[in-house]
Amino acid sequence: MFNFAFNSLYEALYMNGHGLYVWSVVILVFISLLGFFIGYTVKIKKIKDKLNEPN
Amino acid sequence: MSIIWGLFFTPEDFVQGNSYRIIYLHVPASFLSQTLYLAMAISSVTYLIWRVKLAAYLIIAIAPIGAMTTFIALISGSIWGIPTWGTWWQWDARITSTLILFIMYLGLISLHNSFSNHEKADKLLSWLVIVGAANIPIIKKSVDWWSTLHQSASITLTDKPSIDPVMLYPLIGSIIGFFGLMICLVLLSSKYQILHREKNKSWVRDYV
Amino acid sequence: MFELEFLKLRKKTRSWLGPILVFWLIMLAYPLTVEFLQDKLEIGFFSVLWIAILISMMLATEDIFSEDYNDGSLEQTLIKNPSFSFIIVTKIFTYWLLIGLPISILSFVFSLGTSEDLSLSLSIFPLAIISSYIFLNLFVLGNALSLNKGSVLGALVTMPLALPVLIVLGKGLIAIQLDINYQSFIFLLLGSLSIIIVTIPIVVSYVIKAHLE
Repeated sequence: MFNFAFNSLYEALYMNGHGLYVWSVVILVFISLLGFFIGYTVKIKKIKDKLNEPN
Repeated sequence: MSIIWGLFFTPEDFVQGNSYRIIYLHVPASFLSQTLYLAMAISSVTYLIWRVKLAAYLIIAIAPIGAMTTFIALISGSIWGIPTWGTWWQWDARITSTLILFIMYLGLISLHNSFSNHEKADKLLSWLVIVGAANIPIIKKSVDWWSTLHQSASITLTDKPSIDPVMLYPLIGSIIGFFGLMICLVLLSSKYQILHREKNKSWVRDYV
Repeated sequence: MFELEFLKLRKKTRSWLGPILVFWLIMLAYPLTVEFLQDKLEIGFFSVLWIAILISMMLATEDIFSEDYNDGSLEQTLIKNPSFSFIIVTKIFTYWLLIGLPISILSFVFSLGTSEDLSLSLSIFPLAIISSYIFLNLFVLGNALSLNKGSVLGALVTMPLALPVLIVLGKGLIAIQLDINYQSFIFLLLGSLSIIIVTIPIVVSYVIKAHLE
């Protein structure tokens, strides 16, 4: 079950021509998750900064 | 959380080749897109009946994340469609209902943003979410009548799963992983909402 | 109460004549945009018909509440009448009577003119009647949600709810053309209409209360 399906890294990236599709989806998901994560962190930080200012 | 990324250790699908690996992102995303809507509906009911303010914050905290998840499901689905069906878009049942769900998420967000009075916006939003939730099964039913390219659900609770366990276990793992990620994001965004809405209260000042 | 609503709407000629004229124009514009022979015209005709009904209903509800809201009479009726949702039912019914019904008749006339098939057009008529009422209800909800924020937002928000009706209409039309039992589709629409007629006014009254609080 845990055998690595590909012989080399290149093969894993290429995936018999399907790599483009698979990896673009992976990248998209990763970017959007990361984007939301960073976005919210920044927003929270901004609010905190704002609240700290007058004190 | 990063279980998902480690799950590329599975053999090739005979029919679809390697492109089926998108399943590990596509299925969790589409599953989550509906679950998040359900969560929104539950918190709307909670808000309208018991006037729990946190529930209202939760609704608007979930909405953008739900929209993103639905968007991921749509895009990954259409990218998957290119190598397997030869087309990136098909007006079939599931795709169309997911698209409608996406539009609904966008509508919810734009409705909430157009009111400066937060309390009013919360109430209106909850009503819309509830009406929309009632509509989701109807959308599903109506589009299901179309003949469809999309394979039916591979995992159901009652039937034996129709895909091989070698691929199934990673899939379940990736759904759980995605679930965890989304819960993290929801928590983060609700933290933002709470801070944003309660910023004039004294406890927030103490907290910060 | 019904007479009052009827009179109010009839006085506002723009509100009820406008949507009908828009419907008319769309239906007239359709044959101009394609250079088909008469028998080919039928292919796209009915989808244009359903979309024209949808759009004219969207326009019809555009200022259903806004005027009353602006001059404060909406608030007065809300305070004076315990059964506010009943007033909304009559309001929607008035709108349907003055806008939805003429449009249904027009769609019958247009489909008769295009398909030259009496039985087909006769079965279009009930579909048009029911679907216009459903659309009207949905857009009233959208309009109540986006009260004083412009009707476009409300229409956008409720448009996804109207899409299943469009799908059922398309399905029903194919059933009519293939002469399989299309009555089931009419019953389906009637069923959803009966649910919508009850629930939407209640939701709308709550929404308007939330607006006026």
